[in-house]
Amino acid sequence: MICRPCASRGLRSPDAAANARAGQLSTPLLAVDGVSRRFPGVLANDEVSLTLQRGEVLGLLGENGAGKSTLMNILAGIVSPDAGEIRVDGRVADLRTPRHAAAAGIGMVHQHFTLIGAMSVCDNLALGERRVGGFLVDRGAIARRAAALARELRIELDLDAQVDALSVGQQQQVEIVKALSGDPAILILDEPTAVLAPEERAGLFDLLARLAAKGTGVVLISHRLEDIMACCDRVVVLRHGRVVGSGAVAGLARDDLIRMVIGDEIVPVERAPAVPGEAVLSVQDLVLHRANGTPAIDGASFTVHRHEIVALCGVEGNGQSELVQIVAGMQSPDGGTIDYRLRGSPLIGPQGVATLRQHGVAHIAEDRLRHAVLGDLSLADNWLLTALFPRALAPHGWLDRAEAARQCTAALRQFDIKARDAMVPLAHLSGGNQQKLVLARELHDEPPLVIAAHPTRGLDARTIAFVQGQLLQARDRGAGVLLLTADLDEVWALADRVMVMSAGRLHGPVPVGSTSRHQVGHWMTGPR
Amino acid sequence: MSGLALRQGAILALALLVPSLFVMLAGKDPVATWGVLLGYTLGSWDGFSDVLVRAIPLTLLGLGVAVAFRGGIFNIGGEGQLIAGAVLAVAASPLLQGLGWFALPLYLLAGMLGGAAAGGVVGWLRTRYSANEIIVTILMNYVFLQLLTWVIRGPLQEPMGFLPRSFVIGDGLKLGLLDAGSRLHAGLFVAVAAAVVLQVFLTRSAFGFGLDVIGRSAEVARYAGIRPARLVVLGLLLSGALGGLAGAVEIAGVFHRLEDNFAAGLGLSAIAVALMAGLRPALIPFTAILFGIFHVGSGALQRQLSLPFPLVWIVQGVVILAFLAARAVQAQHGRRT
Repeated sequence: MICRPCASRGLRSPDAAANARAGQLSTPLLAVDGVSRRFPGVLANDEVSLTLQRGEVLGLLGENGAGKSTLMNILAGIVSPDAGEIRVDGRVADLRTPRHAAAAGIGMVHQHFTLIGAMSVCDNLALGERRVGGFLVDRGAIARRAAALARELRIELDLDAQVDALSVGQQQQVEIVKALSGDPAILILDEPTAVLAPEERAGLFDLLARLAAKGTGVVLISHRLEDIMACCDRVVVLRHGRVVGSGAVAGLARDDLIRMVIGDEIVPVERAPAVPGEAVLSVQDLVLHRANGTPAIDGASFTVHRHEIVALCGVEGNGQSELVQIVAGMQSPDGGTIDYRLRGSPLIGPQGVATLRQHGVAHIAEDRLRHAVLGDLSLADNWLLTALFPRALAPHGWLDRAEAARQCTAALRQFDIKARDAMVPLAHLSGGNQQKLVLARELHDEPPLVIAAHPTRGLDARTIAFVQGQLLQARDRGAGVLLLTADLDEVWALADRVMVMSAGRLHGPVPVGSTSRHQVGHWMTGPR
Repeated sequence: MSGLALRQGAILALALLVPSLFVMLAGKDPVATWGVLLGYTLGSWDGFSDVLVRAIPLTLLGLGVAVAFRGGIFNIGGEGQLIAGAVLAVAASPLLQGLGWFALPLYLLAGMLGGAAAGGVVGWLRTRYSANEIIVTILMNYVFLQLLTWVIRGPLQEPMGFLPRSFVIGDGLKLGLLDAGSRLHAGLFVAVAAAVVLQVFLTRSAFGFGLDVIGRSAEVARYAGIRPARLVVLGLLLSGALGGLAGAVEIAGVFHRLEDNFAAGLGLSAIAVALMAGLRPALIPFTAILFGIFHVGSGALQRQLSLPFPLVWIVQGVVILAFLAARAVQAQHGRRT
């Protein structure tokens, strides 16, 4: 039932595994002892204790807001604990700043990359380096060291390539090499698989296994059970800031883990068969060129009807994001037609966002914090954000803050969003609760067309089920849903029809029932 | 909490001690210096009324800066817009003779139009040609400075044609003195009213909210259906109009005619005024008063203690730095908890 890529385990040398076992008896590489950290209104970490051995891959599992990231930020020197002690190699570690953490032998790969896209790989690696004599960068030495590290880990690293030109998976490898350049004894990865395509995931797990074989202690944070089962030796489960379970992965059943993470079983999403109605969105021969002249979208045509969910899949960078941006009015195409049949009169041709919103297009944006919300503003002001220019909450140009707060407060209850009230800054919410707020806002006035780009990416199992349920409800009350996703489970759970973008060309849409995962996967990974 | 109070106390102490050190290096008595600076500006009506006179243009110009900066538009051209407003208002003043009470509002409106035109050009250059507004506004300051230099030696020069200054505006256009013994004029009401109106407008209107969103993220603005280009142009028009109003008020209340250097130093101070107020219109009159204290106080220190002018700049600089440090400490404290 559980698919474990054998490579990740098979590569582990028996010695390292033996060391790991022996290590249980001696001093652990990393010991977290009774660490607590309180944020206003939340006890993010409540006397958390765990250990990590040399050569061990430890999974840290938990829902959004369970306290995983807080714990890791404490280890990385970004957040300081209120109580508790952290020992590296038996000695109490001083983790006041990221620099202290690095000196203590802790390397960190963040969920959001810290690379500079316009610079080369080598220059990015040089950024974090100590300078010779305080200000000179010894690029040659950095390049030699990185090349040696890449050879050792068996990854291909083009040091002269510009970071922008790399795939997400390759960028992550650069991040890992960067984190390893200080030769840390402990490597922490925060949700490393969230951005990766399935085949890139397996590559990452192989890499982590090789690192562990060298004796590095690896902590992998994830809320994907599959990740933990595929590559971890042991797992520690956090819930509401507390350790609620731990153990060797080999001895745990999937259902046990799920129960530990969420406390009870998640009810699978129920869905009735689709009864497609009239078309809400018709795209014909859509063309978009990249800055360098190559086609990003090479003649895409499809239709989305009322009462149906059409999934759009693809490996990152194949033009599907651009397609969604165009349909949502945020980018102009170079050719082709788009017809919208929404509220009121039909709209012919590409439209601006304000017009589309007025006519009832909801857009759950791919990159929430870049597009959909502002962290510094309150929840109520974020609620106002998209109601300004259709003037729904700004009649005669004056904001109706009271009504926004009322609607937002109602949404907090209805969508079970964990927040004290509508006045707290959005940044205080966990990622899952932020996404629920976006969902509540976008679906609030029952839009006829819902564009949902990666709506469940980075969310925990419970929130995923909730978001998917909401999208199905939107479909059932008559909306057409265009769903951009890279997760085939999600396609099969939600979509009525599926189409795939590969190198700018669209395959499908075909009814989900008449195709196989194998076929869709083949389209996704087909020749670029 | 006590850690925060402690660090802010330390910053306050530094803000008092560092300038005192410089005063001592200059061979003066620091206690007497602080005494004169605060005693004259806050302790005497002569001094305080002058502080208010200085705070009037700083408030109006500071409001203009705040409008632009809230939208992430770095309008450094307040001084140029102020001059543009003053020049247009004075140029229009002969046409307003005999309009009675109606003349003054029209005169102020002319000032706003002049400033708005100067600001609007910047908005157009930015949205049409992606010109960097910082460079454009800095350069345009020189353009308007030269415009002023020219008009008071050419088309608007006084009838005698002798001194480099314009004719005097009509009596009906002068802002009345609030107190015969001081220079304080009715522009005070204009400044206070503008601050109140701006506070309400920027925090309660869709326009103000949109500007705020653009200032935080142009991408989120686009997602929300806000058209950045339109708001940027409108924001610069409003920002420029406030600068122009400052110019018209300064002429109508203090100078009554255009002169060289009538606006000297206002532009940069107004930026500091707006930033210290956290770009909040309601607080700008108060930070404007603080800068008025330094301006007026420096004159008093020169007269009474023959303290060199640059020393006051040091005091001003240290106070601004201390204020920013205190805010940074508070922000850091907020992030950690």
